[in-house]
Amino acid sequence: MKCRPFTVALLIGVTALSLFGQPTVIGQRRQSARPPVRSEVDYSKFSHATKKHQAACNSCHKVPTEDWQKVKTYPDITDYPDHAACVSCHRAQFFRSARPPICAVCHTKISPRDDVRFPFRNPAGQLQFSTVFPHDKHQDVIARRQPQSTLEAGFAFRRAVFLGSIDDKPPVYNNCSICHSQQVTAPTAPTGGWIDGFVPDTSSFKSAPSAHDSCFNCHWKSQQPVAMNCAGCHTLAPKPYSAKGSPLRISLKFNHEGGGQKKNHVAECTTCHINITKAASLRGLKPDVPITSCTECHNKEGLRQDVSRELLAIDKNATFVCVYCHTSNVGKQDPPASHYLIAERPPIKRKDIK
Amino acid sequence: MNRRLMLLVVASLLTGLSISPIRGLTQDAKTGVLRLRVRVKIGEATKGFARKRFFLLPGTLEQNRSLLEGTQQRPIVTRDCYYTKLGASKALIDWLKQGDCESVYCREISNEDVDGPSSVPEFVNALNAGEKEYGSRETARKWLTTNVPENLRDGFYKSRQVELQGIIKQVETNSGSKVISVMTDRNGTAYFTDLVPGNYVVSTLLPAQIESTSVVWNCEVQVKAGDLATEKPYLLSNRKDRNVKCMAVEKPLPACEK
Repeated sequence: MKCRPFTVALLIGVTALSLFGQPTVIGQRRQSARPPVRSEVDYSKFSHATKKHQAACNSCHKVPTEDWQKVKTYPDITDYPDHAACVSCHRAQFFRSARPPICAVCHTKISPRDDVRFPFRNPAGQLQFSTVFPHDKHQDVIARRQPQSTLEAGFAFRRAVFLGSIDDKPPVYNNCSICHSQQVTAPTAPTGGWIDGFVPDTSSFKSAPSAHDSCFNCHWKSQQPVAMNCAGCHTLAPKPYSAKGSPLRISLKFNHEGGGQKKNHVAECTTCHINITKAASLRGLKPDVPITSCTECHNKEGLRQDVSRELLAIDKNATFVCVYCHTSNVGKQDPPASHYLIAERPPIKRKDIK
Repeated sequence: MNRRLMLLVVASLLTGLSISPIRGLTQDAKTGVLRLRVRVKIGEATKGFARKRFFLLPGTLEQNRSLLEGTQQRPIVTRDCYYTKLGASKALIDWLKQGDCESVYCREISNEDVDGPSSVPEFVNALNAGEKEYGSRETARKWLTTNVPENLRDGFYKSRQVELQGIIKQVETNSGSKVISVMTDRNGTAYFTDLVPGNYVVSTLLPAQIESTSVVWNCEVQVKAGDLATEKPYLLSNRKDRNVKCMAVEKPLPACEK
């Protein structure tokens, strides 16, 4: 009996060895065959921010894609890179299982018998690159011929909007409109909806180029940055972002097609966007319009007094919200000094109104 | 107040900047605006000097004198001479002249420019090459400039840019300030905004071409704080008039080198 515990222990030890000893060795072999367990990488998502993904663009993307004619009327990058671009590093992820997550980067279905891919670029994905566009250089070269009707017999100081319209038809300007035409789709509501329920219509904003054809028509080859030189226009954004549905605007109620029956707002763009021609980059670009561009018509003696009238309303009621141009998020703020200067009076803060 | 915000406020006060989120729309009371109006008289007609870039050099005329005199000593190569020397067709030279263009980018190339009696041979060649390359005549026309030889396409514009950038670099090195530039609209109007009060020289830097003459403006202006330029614009012209603040130096264009 005294020996019994020892016998039992020995028996357990031998049994354990026979049961788990061999499998343990096998387990070790299996472990060494597997790739080392790494941090949780989601291979179904592709990021250009990954260091290994920052080689020359044409090491993966072919410009143009071989069968671009099937999708577009002009040569472009119309599809994802071939498998070879990924397999060279990601062989293990490609053959990991029957449904490798890495396939989901490009393919709508993960199946060896289905090669359907998302549209390129995937509109559901976030943007990873920002675009650099020097407005000043482009304005220098795309400047267009002036029609003869602008010739005048003598000095005259008149606003652009009244010039060039011999008959009542609105004048057509062709400079900025090469890239910025009338928007055809309704602007997307911001998160949280339109402020005050004011929904700007399609003619409130101008469109901006969203495809390569606007650039490649000059920059396809020989004129730098050429199509092969992606980095000439695109830089990796600090973090992925979604394209804005609508541009931010301080005076949301302004309409590019407005200005009464004569459509006085239909003018050469630089008549109001006075800072655009000095902008050297799209990044940080503010297509700002100073109040003086508006007050020529909207705050002139004998015409209208839209600015002065609202400033007077604030004098009477410090909580008055300016609504002629602005929605309430802007209209409830202190009017800037420039507005008071236009009205030829000293600036005042709402809190100082008694 | 947290430390970062405090620093921002102090920095803004020191630099005279407003921390308004809508800066640019709000003219700072510590800065000024300069509104240019450039009118040129050609024969009997007067028109806005459209689509021309004007530069704002920090300092007075006296402070910039040696540099400006240097620019005026440079030999002038006109657009016509540049393209003639390259062997460009008369049709191309005329096409550029009609639009007062420095490059082929400045006007849309229409069907008439590639087909018919007024077609431009350089454009026709480019169209044919493009049609082979892109498989579509329409794409080839829209992308026509991609097949125009580089010198003919924008060599004149680029050579002027090289000169301009050299001058700008020199001014910026001398003054320690940035040279800004704006382009006139169809009426010859342009604005310089957010200017630190002081003296400046408004200049074309390189001669511009009006018909058969070259014109250069070098005009000293004073910018005052809080000036929104709502009064009369600063008028530049090539003809004397009581409203004209600055006259151009006008010279006949030189003959082309053989």
